[in-house]
Amino acid sequence: MLIELSGVSKIYNQGRANEVRALTGIDLGVEQGSMVCLKGPSGSGKSTLLAIIGCIFPPTSGKAAIAGRQLARLPDRFLTLHRRETIGFIFQRFNILPELTVLENITLPLLPLGVPPKERKQRAQELLERFAITHRAQFPAGQISGGELQRVAIARALINNQPIILADEPTAHLDTALSREFMEIMQQLKAGGKTIVIASHDPLVFEHPAIERTVTIKDGRIHVS
Amino acid sequence: MAPRNLEKQLNILDYALSSLWRRRMKSLSVLLVFAAVIFLLASFQMVTQALTDKASQVLAYTPEITLQKMSAGRQEAIPLAYRDRLAGIFGIRRVVPRIWGYYFDEVRLANYTVMGMDVREMPEGDRLDTALAKGTIPGPEEQGRVVVGQSIVKALNLDERNTFSLFRPDLSLKTFTVSGAFSRDTDIMTNDLIVMSLADARDLYEIPAGLVTDLCVYVANPKEIGTIARKISAILPGVRVLTRPQIQKTYQVVFGWRSGFGSICLLAALASFVILAWDKASGLSPEERREISILKVLGWETSDILAVRFWESVIVSGLACIVGMTAAYIHVVYFAAFLFRPVLMGWSVLRPDLHLVPRMAVGNILLILAFTVVPYLAATVIPAWRSATVPADSALGG
Repeated sequence: MLIELSGVSKIYNQGRANEVRALTGIDLGVEQGSMVCLKGPSGSGKSTLLAIIGCIFPPTSGKAAIAGRQLARLPDRFLTLHRRETIGFIFQRFNILPELTVLENITLPLLPLGVPPKERKQRAQELLERFAITHRAQFPAGQISGGELQRVAIARALINNQPIILADEPTAHLDTALSREFMEIMQQLKAGGKTIVIASHDPLVFEHPAIERTVTIKDGRIHVS
Repeated sequence: MAPRNLEKQLNILDYALSSLWRRRMKSLSVLLVFAAVIFLLASFQMVTQALTDKASQVLAYTPEITLQKMSAGRQEAIPLAYRDRLAGIFGIRRVVPRIWGYYFDEVRLANYTVMGMDVREMPEGDRLDTALAKGTIPGPEEQGRVVVGQSIVKALNLDERNTFSLFRPDLSLKTFTVSGAFSRDTDIMTNDLIVMSLADARDLYEIPAGLVTDLCVYVANPKEIGTIARKISAILPGVRVLTRPQIQKTYQVVFGWRSGFGSICLLAALASFVILAWDKASGLSPEERREISILKVLGWETSDILAVRFWESVIVSGLACIVGMTAAYIHVVYFAAFLFRPVLMGWSVLRPDLHLVPRMAVGNILLILAFTVVPYLAATVIPAWRSATVPADSALGG
């Protein structure tokens, strides 16, 4: 298993008046090269689960092993380093920085890795060609279309060739055509060996034939129907 | 190929530059205010240093010891006969009598300094001609001829004519012919000065024969100034003995005090700027919060975000230093420090048209950096901790 969670719980503000139990007893395994959808309404805990898988923070209790490394009690710095090497993120609304150019946005994850400009540009060029947005490379990201923005976000998630792609409500603000295009690209990536976890409550996503398994989360627990 | 860590720092520096460029209006406004503060501080330092240097250069031509007779704490005329009583002190090269006084011009409401002495009696009196822009110093036989400072030339319109008259105490007029003018390089000392023969000065002030205002003592070995001064004090107890190092020190203290006073006022401006910078750096806009959380999800560490903030501050403060110090240099050299002249030069009516050559010692530059760049870095980087610890998960949905 590339992703293995066992009895994972997450409590925000533990011991304080505003304590929130976001996840309780989550057991989940995701094999390498598979595509899984985390389904559930807003506030169900999908993003929290995605954040734990994405090494953004460790679980409060339980075991979480990502790409062979146990996350529990791992210091913040090591979580970041592990995230850099392992996880590519695609955000809701894509979270592209609008003042930066398309090329700069795509290469952002490479800056703290000390990748020299020439190599950064070369790697980005390959992705720009792959997603047919080479002509937009020097455009400010705030001036490109929604479909192009989506491809920029995917290119940024792939720039460091991480084995796991996590997508958080990627189609929430897209029309049907763009949502379909997004899922086609995910399917291609899966075929290329990437492991993909998508948090979404969009039927276009969780009913897509490329999704091998849909995990329903409700009130912070995996819901078995 | 550069090592990865160096390459990382270069990448972060590159990002900091692009970040400043993206917020160029904000960056530019901070830079301009900061440069203005540095400009004021550096100007003060440069002017003070230049004035002190200039005073030292000019004082090098003054007598090593000046004697003035005091009575009831006030200066009065000193008998020429005192010269003979100093004859026994070994090490005195020459004693030259001088009449030094002030003349108030009621028409122009200005004070002139009048100095009457026979310069040829001075050990290196011939060299005084080098302090002149034109003409020669009048000799004892050249009655009615004077050398004047640049402000006198301007005040009495002596470019167009070469004679002028001053009133004696009995209100009769004494006419002078200008035989030369001091160079601008000596402005700090000669600006309002009229040099004439001892006899002319005696006539102008109606000082009786056998009396002068002070005696200038020239010594053979400058290292013996202190010893000779003590011996003179012992022989002439009612006489004030002023040594050149004492006068130099007085100038330094006066300029230093004025500069210090001005610097304290400027430090208040600096403090306000630092508080403003702190306030700006600690408050995060929603866009900045979002940017930081995105960067953190993409694998940037807290230290990387701090490094971006650090480089931004270094670039802003570095540029502000270059702009501020260059502007200060131009202000002092080409505009004769017009902003600070009233404070540093005093409030006399005839202010010198200074042609200053600023000198900035490494210590002064470090002092300015310590008072400007270091507080700015602290005021921007320390609160950046708060911004750099924005949780990465705030970039994710609910």
